[in-house]
Amino acid sequence: MKACQIVSRKFHIDQSYRLETAKEHGAYNTLKEAFALSPVEIIKTIKESGLRGKGGGGAPAGAKWMLMPQDDERSSYLAVNCDESEPGTFKDREIISKDPHLLIEGIIITCYAIKSHDAYIYIRGEYYQFQKILQEAIDEAYTAGILGERVRGEAYRMDITIHRGAGAYICGEKSALLESMEGKRGHPRLKPKQKEPEWYFGNPTLVNNVETIASIPYIIKHGAEGYREFGTERSPGTLLFAMSGHVETPGIYEAEFGTPMFDYINYYGGGIRNGKKLKAVIPGGASTAVLTADEVACATLDYEHMRVVGSALGTGGMIVMDEDTDMVEALKNLLEFYHHESCGQCTPCREGTGWSDTILQRVLDGRGSSEDIDKLLELASIMDGKTICVFAPAVAIVIRSFIGKFRDEFEAKVTA
Amino acid sequence: MSFEFTKENLEKIEALKSRYPSPKALSLPCLWMAQYQERYISLEAIETIGDLIDLPPMEIYRVATFYTMFNLEPVGKYHIQLCKTLSCALCGKAEMLNHLKNRLGLSPGESSSDGAFTLTQVECLGSCGTAPVMQINDQYYENLTPEKIDIILDSLEEGS
Amino acid sequence: MSQIDIVIDNMTFTAEKGSLLIDLLIKHDLKVPYFCYHEALGADGNCRMCMVEIEGQKRPQIACDTLIKEEMVVRTKGENIDGVRRDILELELINHPIDCPVCDQAGECKLQDFYMDYGLYESNIKQSDKVHHRKHIDLGSSVILDQERCVLCARCTRFTSDITKTHELGIIGRGDHACVSTMPGKKLDNPYAMNIVDLCPVGALTSKDFRFQQRVWFLTSSPSICHGCAKGCNIFIDHNREKYKDETIYRFRPRENQQVNGFFICDEGRLSYKKLQDNRQLDMILNGKSCEEAEALEAYRNLLEAGSGKIVILADANLYTEELEMIQIYAQKLGATLSSPMVSDLDDAFADEWLKSSQRASNAKAIEKLGIMTDLPDEKIALLINFNHPNTVSIDAERVISFRTNQQKEPADLILPLAVFSESSGTLTNEDGIEQYCPKVITRNDPAPTVIEWMIRCQEEVE
Ligand SMILES: Cc1cc2nc3c(=O)[nH]c(=O)nc-3n(C[C@H](O)[C@H](O)[C@H](O)COP(=O)(O)O)c2cc1C
Ligand code: SF4
Ligand code: SF4
Ligand code: SF4
Ligand code: FES
Ligand code: FES
Repeated sequence: MKACQIVSRKFHIDQSYRLETAKEHGAYNTLKEAFALSPVEIIKTIKESGLRGKGGGGAPAGAKWMLMPQDDERSSYLAVNCDESEPGTFKDREIISKDPHLLIEGIIITCYAIKSHDAYIYIRGEYYQFQKILQEAIDEAYTAGILGERVRGEAYRMDITIHRGAGAYICGEKSALLESMEGKRGHPRLKPKQKEPEWYFGNPTLVNNVETIASIPYIIKHGAEGYREFGTERSPGTLLFAMSGHVETPGIYEAEFGTPMFDYINYYGGGIRNGKKLKAVIPGGASTAVLTADEVACATLDYEHMRVVGSALGTGGMIVMDEDTDMVEALKNLLEFYHHESCGQCTPCREGTGWSDTILQRVLDGRGSSEDIDKLLELASIMDGKTICVFAPAVAIVIRSFIGKFRDEFEAKVTA
Repeated sequence: MSFEFTKENLEKIEALKSRYPSPKALSLPCLWMAQYQERYISLEAIETIGDLIDLPPMEIYRVATFYTMFNLEPVGKYHIQLCKTLSCALCGKAEMLNHLKNRLGLSPGESSSDGAFTLTQVECLGSCGTAPVMQINDQYYENLTPEKIDIILDSLEEGS
Repeated sequence: MSQIDIVIDNMTFTAEKGSLLIDLLIKHDLKVPYFCYHEALGADGNCRMCMVEIEGQKRPQIACDTLIKEEMVVRTKGENIDGVRRDILELELINHPIDCPVCDQAGECKLQDFYMDYGLYESNIKQSDKVHHRKHIDLGSSVILDQERCVLCARCTRFTSDITKTHELGIIGRGDHACVSTMPGKKLDNPYAMNIVDLCPVGALTSKDFRFQQRVWFLTSSPSICHGCAKGCNIFIDHNREKYKDETIYRFRPRENQQVNGFFICDEGRLSYKKLQDNRQLDMILNGKSCEEAEALEAYRNLLEAGSGKIVILADANLYTEELEMIQIYAQKLGATLSSPMVSDLDDAFADEWLKSSQRASNAKAIEKLGIMTDLPDEKIALLINFNHPNTVSIDAERVISFRTNQQKEPADLILPLAVFSESSGTLTNEDGIEQYCPKVITRNDPAPTVIEWMIRCQEEVE
C-alpha cells in the first residue's frame, strides 16, 4: 500500500492542532509562495492538478473556481462545507480537530485565488466539541497575524467565521448550506439555468468541502505534477477514505485513488470482524449504491471504476456489512434516515421518503406482500429525476440497489 | 414573560454582524445563544431575535422548527442523544439503547421527572468509525459498551 | 425582449424570449397541472406537477422554472409525461384524505380535477398509514385551515411573506411533518387575508363566511366592480338562484386586472356583498306606511308641487356615471341644486399603500368630472330628493323624498326602493381615472327599480 499523507500528515503528531506545533511541521509555509503567484496562476495550477471536490460529488475544483468572477464590484465569498452528515463519513472532523491550521492555510490561498476576503466554515451543529478546537486555531491565527487585516504582512485582509449548523443533513447540499448561512431553513435552491457560481446574499460564492480546501497547500507546494503522482489520470490525488461497520479497525486512512477496495478493507480495516465473511459494502456514504461481496472484489477506489461497478465513490466513507447483516433492516435504517432528513420542500421527496419508510415497516412487521416490494421500486422511480435537489434520486439509488441485489431477503420477509 | 440576551451575548451578536453581509445571517447563531441561555428556545426569545436581526419572528420560528438540534421545549439537564444510523446499528446500537432505557427508565423522547435526563435517538453523528456513539449535550462518547455507559452516567449523576 | 416562435405539442406559438414557459401554457389553456406556481407569487418549484418534456433534455422539466428559448420543442402530453404526473399526483394523495364529497373545495379543487383527469380516483393507500395532521384550525380573519388537505404549495405563506409582508403564516417543521401554521398564539390578521382562500389550490383553506354555504358547481360567476372604495377592484360576483328562492349572492372573488387591482381584493370589499342583500329597502313607504306604486308616484308629484322654495337633490357618489348624468339633467330641469356632500371626507383609517383608498365613494371621480358640487346650500330647503346618499349631515328640509337601497333610520315623507349596483349597470371612474363598466348581474324576482327606471317613471308622471 503506497503511503500518502497529503492531508493527514500531521494527524499523528501530538497537539498538532496548536499553532506552534503545526508550524514546527511546516504549517503556513506555502502562503509566501501562493502570494507570489497571481490568483489566475493559482487557479491554473489547481485546474492542472485535476483536484476533484471531496464532498461527495467529485466535481473538478479548478473549473468551479474559474466560474468565480475575477472582476466584479460585488464581494466574493468562500463557504467551506463541514456539514459532514452523510452516514459513514467522518473525515472532515479529523481535519478540523487534528490539523485545523492546514484548513486555514488552504482557505487563505483559496480566497486569494478567488479574490475573496471572507470565508465561512459551515460546521454541523453536533460537532461543537471539534468546532471549538478549530475556533481556537483560528483565534491563534488571528493573534499571530496570519488572519486579520494583513495576512502575514501582505496587503490582504482575511476573515474566517465559523457558522454552526443545527441538525439538518440537507444543509450539506451546497445551495441549502448557503440558504442556512443566510439565516433561513435549509431548502435547496432551484438549479441555475446556466453554469454560474453559487450566491450568498446575491454575491458570487464558492462552496468546497473541507478536505478539498485542505488539499490546496500541498498542490501549491508540490505543483500540479506533485499532486498527480498519486491517484489515477481521471481521479488524481488521494482521499481520506473512511471505514465503519463490521471491520476490525474502523477509521480514517488516507489512500490514493485507484486503490483496490478489497485491499483497502483488509489492509487498513484489518478485515471483517470476528472472522466473518463479507456480505456487502456501501462504498461512499449512505447515498451510494450498495455493492455485493463479488462487486467489492473487483472495485477500485476511484471515480471512474466505481461507476463501472454501478455505484459511485461519493464521500469515500465505506460501510462494511458482514454475512449476518439483515439487508432489509439495513435498508429500513437508511430509509428512516432519509425520511427524517428530507427537507420536505418538494412533493416526490417529502411524500416518497415517508411512504417508502412506512411500506418497509409494514414488511418488517409481517404485514407486507410482494407488491410492497414492487411498490418500493416504483417509489424509487417516482423520486428519481423529478426533484429540486439530488437527495431524492439518491434515495432511489439506495432502494434500487438494496432490492435489486438482495431481493431474496426481502421476499423472505413477505412470504414468511 | 420576556427574554433578554445577556450583555455578553449581545456583544457577541454585534461583533458577528460585522462578519456577515446581512444581519439576517445571524438567525442560527442567535438561536444557539438563546438555547444555551435558557436550555430551550422560547417564543419570547424568537421575538427578541427578530428585533435584533431584522427578521419577522415567523421566519425565525420556521428556522427553529427546521433544525433538529433546536429545542422549542425544555429538555433535561443532560440530553442523551444516541446515534441510530447504520454504522452504529451494525455495531451494537440496539444493545446500547436497551441499556440506556433500563438504566434511566426512559423511552426515546422522554425526560426523567427530575429534569436530569432526556433520551433521544438521533441520526448519524459523523462518528461512524467509533460506533456506537452518543452525544450528551455537546460531548461525544464513542466506542460505547454497556459498562462504559454506566461509568459515564455514574459520573453525571454524581455531578448533578 | 424579442418575440420568438416555439413549438408546443406540434403547434407553433409566439412568445417573448426569456419569459416563463408556464405563463404561455396557461395563456393558451394548454392543460398542465400545477399547484405552487401563481402569476402573482412567481415560481417556487415545490409541487413538481407542471412537468413537461423538452426536446434535448434527458429528464422532464418543470414549466414554471423554464425560460422560453429559441427553437424550443415542448410536449405537454403523451404516455411518458402523463405517467410522471400520475406518479407525483399519487404521492400528493398519500397523506391527503379522500373526502371530496364532504370537502368544501370540491368543484374548485385542483387536486380533484387532476386526479379525475389522470384517472386516480381510487387510491390504494391505507388510511391508517397516513400521516395525520390537525383539521379545522381557525387561523383568524375568517380563514379555516385543514392541514391534512394541504399540499404544501406555499402559496398562502408566500402571500403573507411576499405580498402583504405581514408574515403571519409559514411552513414549519421538516419533511412530512411540515405544515402551514401561524406562530403559536398568533392569528392571521391583515386586511387582505382572505385572498389566501382563493390562492389555495385545494380545500385546505376555506372561508368561514362561505364554508358549506353552496357547492361551487351551482354558482354562476359574473364580472363586476367592487364599490367599497374608489379603487374599483375587479371582482366576480358568485351567485345562484335556488328553486323557489330569490337570486342570492354567495361571495365576491377577485378578478384579475393588472391595471387596477392585480389579482387581489381587500377583505372588507370581499365581504361587502352582504350589503347588497341584507336589510334591503324593498317597500315603497308613504308617511310611514307601505303603499302601491301608483300611490307613490302620485305622492311624488304632490311633494314636488306642494309649494315653491329651494329644491335640493343629493346623489350618492357610488351611483353609476350614467345615473349621475341623468340626475344632473333632472336637477337642471327642476331648477334644483345637485350635491354630493362628503365626497371630500377621506377615510384615512381605511386606506393603505396598496389597494385600499381613503376615498370610499367608488365614483367620486365622476362627481368631480361632472362638476357636481360637494357642499350644501345654506338656504332653507323646501324639498330634498335623496338618491341613496348616506346622509349623515342633518339637513333641515320641509319635505323629503328618499330613494334607498337599504333601510335607514332617517325619516322621509316618501321612501322609494332602489336597485343596488349588482342589479343595475353603468360606468364607474376609479381614483386613477380608469373608467370601468359594470354589468347587471342580479335579477330579483321582485326587482327594485334602478335610478334610471325611477327617473323615467317619475318624469312621465310629472309631464
Ligand atoms: C443531500 C446532499 C448532502 C451533501 N452533504 C455534503 C456534506 O455534508 N459535505 C460536503 O462537503 N458536501 C456535501 N454535499 C455536496 C455539496 O453539495 C457540494 O457539492 C460540495 O460541498 C462541494 O464541494 P466539493 O466540490 O469540494 O466537494 C452534499 C450534497 C447533497 C446533494
Ligand atoms: S429532493 Fe428532498 S431534500 Fe431535495 S429539495 Fe426536494 S424535498 Fe428537499
Ligand atoms: S394551505 Fe393551501 S395554499 Fe397554503 S400551502 Fe397548503 S395547499 Fe398551499
Ligand atoms: S380596495 Fe376598495 S375596491 Fe378594492 S376590494 Fe377593497 S374596498 Fe373594494
Ligand atoms: S452511524 Fe452513528 S455516527 Fe454515523
Ligand atoms: S407549478 Fe411548477 S413546480 Fe409547482
